[in-house]
Order: sequence, then C-alpha cells, then structure tokens
Amino acid sequence: MSHVSFRARGEDVALEADYVVVGSGAGGATAAVTLARGGAEVALVEAGAWRDPEHYPSSTYGAMRDLFDDWGAQVTRGRALWPIVQARTMGGTTVINSAICVRTPGDIFAQWERERGVGGDALAARVWAAQDRVEAELCVEEVPPAARGRSNTLAMLGAERRGYESHWIHRYAKGCEGTGQCLQGCRKLRKQSTNLNYVPEVLERGGHVLSCAPVARVTLEGNRAVGVEGRFEHPRGGGAGARFTVRARRAVVLAASVTHTPVILKASGVRSPALGEGFRSHPGTGVFGVYDDPVDMNTGATQGWASTAFRDEPGLKLETLSIPFEMVASRLAGGGLELMKRLVEYRHIAMWVHAVRAETVGTVRRGLFGKPVVRYTLNGADMRRFREGIQLVAQTHVAAGAKKLILGIYGMPYSITPDQVGMLADAPLDPRAYIAVLSHLFGGCTMGADPTTSVTDGAGRVHGYEGLVVADGSVIPSNLGVNPQHTIMGLAQVFAEDLLARA
Amino acid sequence: MRHAMRALYPRTEALPGLEDTDDAAFLARYRQETTRLMWLGLVLATFVFVSTPLLTVYLPLPSFLLPRALLDRHAYRVTYSRLYLLRQAVFLLKLTAGLCWGSHPSVRAKMAMAPYPADPDTWRTS
Ligand SMILES: Cc1cc2nc3c(=O)[nH]c(=O)nc-3n(C[C@H](O)[C@H](O)[C@H](O)COP(=O)(O)OP(=O)(O)OC[C@H]3O[C@@H](n4cnc5c(N)ncnc54)[C@H](O)[C@@H]3O)c2cc1C
Ligand code: SF4
Repeated sequence: MSHVSFRARGEDVALEADYVVVGSGAGGATAAVTLARGGAEVALVEAGAWRDPEHYPSSTYGAMRDLFDDWGAQVTRGRALWPIVQARTMGGTTVINSAICVRTPGDIFAQWERERGVGGDALAARVWAAQDRVEAELCVEEVPPAARGRSNTLAMLGAERRGYESHWIHRYAKGCEGTGQCLQGCRKLRKQSTNLNYVPEVLERGGHVLSCAPVARVTLEGNRAVGVEGRFEHPRGGGAGARFTVRARRAVVLAASVTHTPVILKASGVRSPALGEGFRSHPGTGVFGVYDDPVDMNTGATQGWASTAFRDEPGLKLETLSIPFEMVASRLAGGGLELMKRLVEYRHIAMWVHAVRAETVGTVRRGLFGKPVVRYTLNGADMRRFREGIQLVAQTHVAAGAKKLILGIYGMPYSITPDQVGMLADAPLDPRAYIAVLSHLFGGCTMGADPTTSVTDGAGRVHGYEGLVVADGSVIPSNLGVNPQHTIMGLAQVFAEDLLARA
Repeated sequence: MRHAMRALYPRTEALPGLEDTDDAAFLARYRQETTRLMWLGLVLATFVFVSTPLLTVYLPLPSFLLPRALLDRHAYRVTYSRLYLLRQAVFLLKLTAGLCWGSHPSVRAKMAMAPYPADPDTWRTS
C-alpha cells in the first residue's frame, strides 16, 4: 500500500505503474478502481489533499478553503460572471455534491450516435450495467422519510398540487441523516463520495495514490503518452514542493474535470482542433418561498426532491437545494438594515432551484498562470428556458402555500405575493440580472468519431495518440438534462474495461 | 474593509451585526489563507464600496465619512447599482462578510442552528 502526500522540495518522487489516472473524482476514481480490479497496477494522482470525514470543515469558509477548486472563485467569462463550482480534493466533486444518482436517459445514447457517431444501444447497455454495479456498491437509496425535512416535503406537496411528476431523490447515501451539509462534505459518513470507497480500494489492491499532486503535463514520447509530471502543492497556501513523475507502462487516463482536463492536454502539447470546444452546462438559479411556519431548510437532505417532468420541454430540471446559511446571507438582495430585516425571515424560507438543459456552447482555454478560462454566455432561447424555470419553481412554491416569493432578480421587486407570479413572464432575459451557478459541466474533450470535431473516440481515446484516454465529464458531447455523476461513472467504467480488454 | 463589511451587516434589535463577531481575526486569517487574487478582489471591492457614495447618496464623500443613516442608505443602494461590475464587486464583499457573520455562533443561535465545530484544517499525510 502506498499513499504519498505533500513532499517538500528536494524529496522528489518517481513511480511507475501500468496505468496512471489523473483526478480522483467521479470519473477518475471509477476508472482507477475498475483497472485495479482487473489486476492492473494503478497510480492515482490527485491535485487536492486527501481528507476523510474527520478532516472535513463545517463552515462554508472551511469548505471553500479546503474542498473547493480555487476557493470557488472561478466564473464564466461572458456577459455575466456566473460561478463555476468544482472540488479540488481526494474524491473530487463527489465530496461536495449532493450525491444525486440518475441513470443516463436512453435518448442520450441515441443522440450521441446520431450526432457524433458514437454511443447507440451497445454503449447504453454497457453503461447501464456499470451503473447497476455502482448503485449497489455506493448504496444508492431514496432519501429516507426521516431525512426529508420540511423544504423537501413542501416541494413534493407543491408538485402534487400542480399535477406534475416529481419524486424523492435517489442518492449515493446510506441512511442520510438530513444534516443539510453535503456541500461541506458529509461528516456523518453517509454520502458515498469516492474518497471513502474506490480510492482506498485502489490502495488495497496494490495501487499507489498521490495527493496534493497537480499534474502539470502528460509526458509524450512522439504521439504516445508515457506518464505524467508535476510538483506537489501544499494544501495550506499552495506552496510548491518536490517534483513527481509517474511513468505509465500502458496508458494515462485523464479525469481532472471538464475545466482542467483540456488545459492539461493543451499544456502537454496535444493537438486537436476540438480541444476546449463544446463546453456545456446546466446553469441554474433558485427562488426562495417564504412560509408561515418555520421551514428550517438547513435540516433535511441538502437535496431531497426533484422533478424531471420538464426535461424535454422546455428543458429543465427542478430540485430543492438548501445552501448554507452563510450563502443565504449574501444571496438575499440588499445591504445594511434592510438586509438584516430580510435575514430575520431565514427560518421561514425554502430554496428551490432549476437547472437548464442549455443548448449554449462555450469554450475552455488555458489562461494566465495555466488556469482554465471558460467563455460562456447563455443564448436567448436558453434564457427563455431559464425564465420559464423560475416561473415553474415560483408556481410550485405558491401551490405549496408560500405567502411570498423572494426572487433575486435585478430589476424586479425583492419579493412578490402569490398573485403577482404572472410578472415573472416578463422577467429580464439579460443573464446579468441573475445570480446563477454552473455545477453540472460537460465537454471540452468531447467524444465522437470525427477527429476534426471531437477530441476522443467513443472509448475515450484521444484521436491521434496512443495510450491517452479521457474519462471524466469532459468527454460528454451533449447536455444530459439530468445530474451527470452517474453517467460519468458509467462511461469511466466502460472506458477502463476497454483498456483492460486491449492490454 | 471592516467598515464596508460592517455597513452591509449592521447590528439590529433582532440580530447581531458583523461588529459583534470577531471580524478582525476573520479578515487576518482570510488574508493569510486565501489566494492573492481573491484578496486583491476584496481590496478592489472595498475601494468600490468606499468610493461610490456619489452614485448612491449623491455626496462626493468616501463612505467612511457618511453619517450613519446615509451610510446605511449607501450600503443598500450600492447593491442595486445599475453597473453590473459594481454590483458584482459589492457581492464579493457581501459574500466574504457573510462567511464571517453567518458562521458566528450568536447569529446561528438566532436561526436555531447549533454552533459550527471548529474546522480541523487537517488531511491525511501518509
Ligand atoms: C455543488 C455541486 C453539487 C453537485 N451535485 C450533484 C449531484 O447531486 N449529482 C450529480 O450527478 N452530480 C452533481 N454535481 C456534478 C458532479 O459532481 C460532477 O459532474 C462530477 O463530479 C464530475 O466528475 P469528474 O470526474 O468529471 O470531475 P471531478 O469529480 O470534479 O473530479 C476531478 C478531479 O480532478 C482533480 N484535478 C484537477 N486538476 C488536476 C490536476 N492538474 N492534477 C491532478 N488532479 C487534478 C480535482 O482535484 C478533482 O478531484 C454537483 C456538482 C457540484 C459542484
Ligand atoms: S444531508 Fe447530511 S447526512 Fe445526508 S448525505 Fe448530506 S451531509 Fe450526509
């Protein structure tokens, strides 16, 4: 067993393994454990520190410092500056996410086959079989009644009264206790993030894990990937440490996320006209409902209720979401005494959100100091979907009995009464009027049969290179309209199986 | 910086203000721990807050010279500025101040929430 954490300058580390996997999130950990189970020696290289639940922070400040990528400071460049949230820690974004598990819809594989020449029924069958295994291993279950809390329960009531399909969410969480702290990592050991299961299993199977080890580039010999290199980075302050090099006898698997994988490939000198293209997301925002009785949305599963009834038309997903109180403090509009008056209502508010299945396409580029730069501005059609989502969420609040709605839309009143919901039909279409977040990301190294429009083939192999595979959200060439972790895990497992089969 | 942040979250009868938290220690820690870019952003955001009363309360004064009632009006109006980048800058200030204010035990108690245990700031070293 070997885990190598931060090493100071001068204590260089050199390792060799059959496969080097970069990134330990949804894609990387799944690929690594699949390869290790297949008998291969795996080295998993992760930029963030390895934190177990006893190391997790409680406060939002601590989460930004210890778990978020770049303190959560990354924003879209475009008309509006919308935050792009991801994690930088062992387990990747599975540590801070809400653990919602949704199978890849069948229409997605058909779409990939039609538009990209990959996918189809054969891939669908393999991904679903992989998802069966993941669901069993990561104890996927419906949010238990005791953990639903009032916000989730009210949302179910609102949807029932509105007459649309909705459900209690299935999550990678065993016996969720409803502490509403998913964003800070689950200190109750309920959420099955990959740092708790797949990563330790890689070690147990004789693999190596490097933490605090951001890969700077893939080492190429001609067009063959033979390893990775970088410098350790101290978890406190990011000071540079020793060099590390990891040789790959068979292949390098990149799974550093939608924003980082294209940047690593670019820094490594990989040439592809499609590199960094095809960035997509599910941008979302929330509407607060204010209820007569306390909701205490910080109790209950962080996200316990959802509806996919609007996935096809107009292209939306609806969910509950309890963001930490510190974030509510800045999310409510205004400042000074008026803001304090508004904050008094906190216990009575429930936040529900939409995520838009947006058509808009952006780019990921390597910016100054090697950081990713995402250019992305929602187009008019997507902004209309975005506005429709706000209306749907607001109407659901009203149906559930909210006495008023807090909008957070620049240019509109701070709050409206139920009979004013119609106003939302004329809400602005300028993205700058909204505080939205991007947490479901796709593309940048999209897969497809044509090397001029895609970076990888249907097995994640980078076109034109040997021994170089991508196995994270960046290969996904379309929006899913559902939460992405399960699809990423399914694809990563399939890609790893293909690697083993070819070895 | 504290002046601007305290103006955004002032003490009221119902709730403690930022001044009732240990904001000085918070900012010292934040400065030490965050990235240079984040800190620079916060400094710029503070500058924006301090230098814009002319746009909000129509007085050519820095915000720290405003009488209390006008400062409060400025703290409110600046968050609704027509200029997007100005709004974003103040949002950063508000977010950072909110991290301090919203995690303080006295504030959390008002919201019926248990105090946060200390963040361990530890990780696996082997
Ligand atoms: C707040 C939030 C809530 C979410 N909730 C859900 C949900 O409930 N259900 C769902 O399906 N999806 C959810 N998502 C999205 C989901 O978590 C991601 O889509 C998924 O984790 C992405 O997987 P990935 O492997 O592509 O990247 P990640 O999981 O982000 O993993 C990438 C890893 O690579 C590491 N890395 C980056 N650069 C380097 C480098 N240079 N060298 C080495 N390592 C590197 C990172 O530190 C990270 O550990 C949520 C996302 C967020 C932000
Ligand atoms: S709601 Fe709480 S107990 Fe449930 S998975 Fe999230 S952090 Fe864990």
